[in-house]
Parts: sequence; structure tokens; C-alpha cells
Amino acid sequence: MLIGPELMALRGDDTPQRRIQQRLLDQLGGWREAGAGAELEAELPRFAKGAALESLPALHALFTPGNCAAATLVDGLTDWLLTELERDPLGQVPMRHQCDRTLATLVLVRCQGASLALQAIDGAGFALKPPAQSVTFAGNESWDHVLAGSAEVELVRIAGQRPGGVELDRTGSALAPGGIVHRNGRLAAQIFKRVPGILVLLKLHRLDHDNAPSCEYALDDGRLLHQAAGHPRDSRLELAVALLGRMGRADAAPLLAAMAEETGSPHLRWQALRECIALDSRTGFTALSAIARNSDDPLAVPAGALRAQLLETYPQLAEVPLCPA
Amino acid sequence: MMNLPKIDISALPDLDVLTGVFGSLAHPAQGLQSNDTLIMMMSFVYDVIKTVH
Repeated sequence: MLIGPELMALRGDDTPQRRIQQRLLDQLGGWREAGAGAELEAELPRFAKGAALESLPALHALFTPGNCAAATLVDGLTDWLLTELERDPLGQVPMRHQCDRTLATLVLVRCQGASLALQAIDGAGFALKPPAQSVTFAGNESWDHVLAGSAEVELVRIAGQRPGGVELDRTGSALAPGGIVHRNGRLAAQIFKRVPGILVLLKLHRLDHDNAPSCEYALDDGRLLHQAAGHPRDSRLELAVALLGRMGRADAAPLLAAMAEETGSPHLRWQALRECIALDSRTGFTALSAIARNSDDPLAVPAGALRAQLLETYPQLAEVPLCPA
Repeated sequence: MMNLPKIDISALPDLDVLTGVFGSLAHPAQGLQSNDTLIMMMSFVYDVIKTVH
């Protein structure tokens, strides 16, 4: 393994690296607390909670056609960041970032399911990827501002529902500098077809907090291929529920029963119910019966079927009172 | 005292349509869609790491 002399020196004394990182953090702190980022930091929590973009002047200016606020913001940010990295190439950018052959993303500000990010798409890397086979619709709202470059895209909309999938409406479109695209992710998706050179986007995004799953459909015939949790919180809770089950934590059964009977993601509720029944059949069966009885509950039908199946297999469950003792 | 059964979770069915974890896809490596789930995932993973440390 070849280790450069700069890295070798840091093995013995990492003081220079720590100084670089502290300087980058100080610069970022200044940008967020008193610089151009301060207004964005102040407005993003309201945006995350659903405030209209038009009511948030700093964010709105970034996505207003003809307004130079977006270019000014990104120029100012990249100016100090690139100056620091030019001086100290081993410095690590202190913002969340990700980079591969196609996509480079830098998250400028984020808060509770909302984010403002800078994204670059490398057309050469993109050309190596296989063409899209599917399209995903998710509960979010986004605004894209094209800062530089261009792209050919396909706009895909849900034209109607059908058993096992949806009807898709697909139309070609183009992105050009200065263009701003607003999208409701439940209804519309945008797939890149060709990117000549590099496309740079400023992206504003928020989750809609309705907890409905995202749905991935086949582009050719609209059949449902996959669905996924609509919010990371649901996945985190599902993992916790599964862990309690694997640990045999029967003392958690009342908590799992409460989760199963709450409103929220049907998938998460069902997993909580299954684990609850397995940990403590009395508590679980009581919750199952309550859900099956509530015809307004989206889980009433599968709960009723499972209840009938369990009663057939374990007739003694009929003695469990309908309400918790 | 009722003699209630111990029920194995494998005997309890899933819903007809399964739901994967947030951000999961059937065809993750194909094409490129304007999908900010990636940014959410970055933030989520980062926050988990930060919390653990």
C-alpha cells in the first residue's frame, strides 16, 4: 500500500488535520448563524411543518424565476468552501455529502424531513447506468432550480389506478438553466434520460408526513413492484418492534398492543400486532379482536381473517375477554 | 387461569403487500430519478451515527 507523505506525517501528529477541521466547522458555523445560511436555518423548520413556500421569503427567493438569490447563495458558499479545500486538500467538508460516478450531493440545511441541497449530475457517469425500469412515487414535495447545465427528462404521472398497479402517463421534457420544477411526489416523478456535461441543481424537499408508503411501479406496464415505508421513523419503530420480539420481551406486549391499535402506518401496526401475539397471546388476541371489530380500520379485514384462523387452531382463545382485564 | 397457547410468529401471516424499509427499491441501480430519498437517507444515517457516538 502506498501512503503519501502528507498522510504519513498525520499518523504521527494529527494536529494539522484537527486545525483544518476546526477551521471548516468555524466557517460553516458562521455561515449558518450569521451568514447567508442563517435565514434559511430560521425558515426551514416552518417549511418542514408545511408552511407555504411563498410565506418564507429567503427560501422562496431561491426558487423564484429570474431571482439571482440561488446563484448568490451557492457562489458564496462554494467560494469559502473551495478556498479552504484548495489551501488544505485533506480537509473534510463538514456538511452531509455523498458522491459517486453520477451524483454528487451536498446538504446545505436540513430540519425534520426537509432539506435544501446542492446536487450535481455527471452526464458521463449517468450514461453508463442501465436505463430506468421503474418509477417511484413518494409522499414528498420538491422544488428543483437548474443552476447550470441541461438535461432531457421524462415526466411520469399517475393517470389512474388499476388492480395491482397504476396507469402511467409519460411525457418528454427538458431542463435548462434558470428552470424551476415543482413536484408533488405522490402524483409526479421525473426520470433523467440524458445529461450532456454536468447538471447542477439546487433542491428543496420536504416529506408530507402522511405516513403512506412510497410505491415503485414498472415503467412498461405500471404494475406495482415494491412499496416502502413513507417515513424513516416507521422503519426505525419496526426494527425496534422486531428486536423486542426476538428478545422475547413479553413485558413489552402492552406497548406493542397500543402501537397496533394506534392510527398510523398499517404495515407498522400489523408488525406490532404480530409480535405482540407471539410474545403474549392474551394481550395480542385482545388487540387483534379490537382491530377486527372496527370496520373503519384498514386492518379490520386481515385482522378478522387472522382472528378466525387463530380461533380455529386455538379454540381456548375464545375465552379471552374482548377488553383488557 | 386460562391455558393460553404460545404462538410462533412464523404462523402469523404478513399483509398481502409487504412494505420495505424507508428508501428501499426494487431496482435501485437502474436509471436516475429526481428522488430526494437519498438526501433523507444521508441525513438519517448520519444522525444515527452521530447519536451512537
